[in-house]
Amino acid sequence: MSIPTMRQQLSATLLLLCSLLFPPVQAAGTSQLLQALPERPKAGDFQLTDLDGTEHRLSSYRGRVVIVNFWATWCPPCREEMPSMQRAWELLEPEGVVMLAINIGEDEDTIFQFTANFPVEFPLLLDQDSATIQSWPVRGLPTTYVVDPQGRLVYRAIGGRAWDDPALLDMVRALK
Amino acid sequence: MHIITLLLSSLFIPTAIAAGSATTGSDPGTGLAFWRYEAEGILFELNQRLPDQTRAFFQARGFDTDAANQFATSCVFQSRLLNTAVAGGASLQFNLNEWRVISGNKSSSMATTDDWMPRWKKQSIGQAARIAFKWSLLPTEQTYAPGDYNWGMTSYDQPPGTRFNLTLVWHREGRRESATIRNIECPADSPQETP
Repeated sequence: MSIPTMRQQLSATLLLLCSLLFPPVQAAGTSQLLQALPERPKAGDFQLTDLDGTEHRLSSYRGRVVIVNFWATWCPPCREEMPSMQRAWELLEPEGVVMLAINIGEDEDTIFQFTANFPVEFPLLLDQDSATIQSWPVRGLPTTYVVDPQGRLVYRAIGGRAWDDPALLDMVRALK
Repeated sequence: MHIITLLLSSLFIPTAIAAGSATTGSDPGTGLAFWRYEAEGILFELNQRLPDQTRAFFQARGFDTDAANQFATSCVFQSRLLNTAVAGGASLQFNLNEWRVISGNKSSSMATTDDWMPRWKKQSIGQAARIAFKWSLLPTEQTYAPGDYNWGMTSYDQPPGTRFNLTLVWHREGRRESATIRNIECPADSPQETP
């Protein structure tokens, strides 16, 4: 066995350093998933009306996974993610997952006009005085939380997502 | 051994100035200018908004002409800030109150939501309009996980046509990092018709 040279020792040390300082990262394509919230805080309850006049109370969905999205019609990434939310809902709704999209500050007419271009079938709720969004830990639109069957905030996404991404759907399904 | 010690020290000292790149250009469709800063884990983009666009947006949401004009002529950009780290990477925190606007030899803060909201209340702007305003601006403070981002308007409190440098500040893994985008131009205003 030969004795390593000074250069070889330095190379090996650098390699070790790099592996410690820059651990392997996941593929770039998986970066836009959901952020896990380790503390799992309790979701604030709300009671809001949808475009059909039906009232939705978050606590009445206890026992089911609920995706709660905060949005507005004028918000570009909110509009962009809506079609993928619809596709995700078509897959998840038969499995018992609930999806509620809470509009901030706009009236029914504005949202009806929006749905002509972005047809969605999941409930669009009205938070006209913004009381609900202000009681949730939200600072920008869109923001989405995934609530587990125990009523806790488990995942968060700030900004739009491709909600029909199979990896993302699996994260939601795993909470059931 | 001395080389290794030196290398280790340089790796562990927090870097104050991020090694990124700033680019500028214009939208081929509108001719409006944009500025973009990119470094490891961060992308920040500014797109000029004409005062007319901003006036129209807020008047459609209940602002009166005077209030819409005050904001529209305060040097408004459509902005996008992203944590571009891959999954499992570090989170990114920012607070716009740390950012600096440098025009000539004067350094000032940006005008954030917290600066504007009391004005609108004082000017009796309606609740729906104030809600739209609050949520259409880039949040003043955020913590982004990898992949998180926001779009929103930002206001630099400068007259139309002013050129300025913007120093961005963000925090990652306990380090405070900063970068400066130079020679940003506030969108010019078109002459307003007098009644």
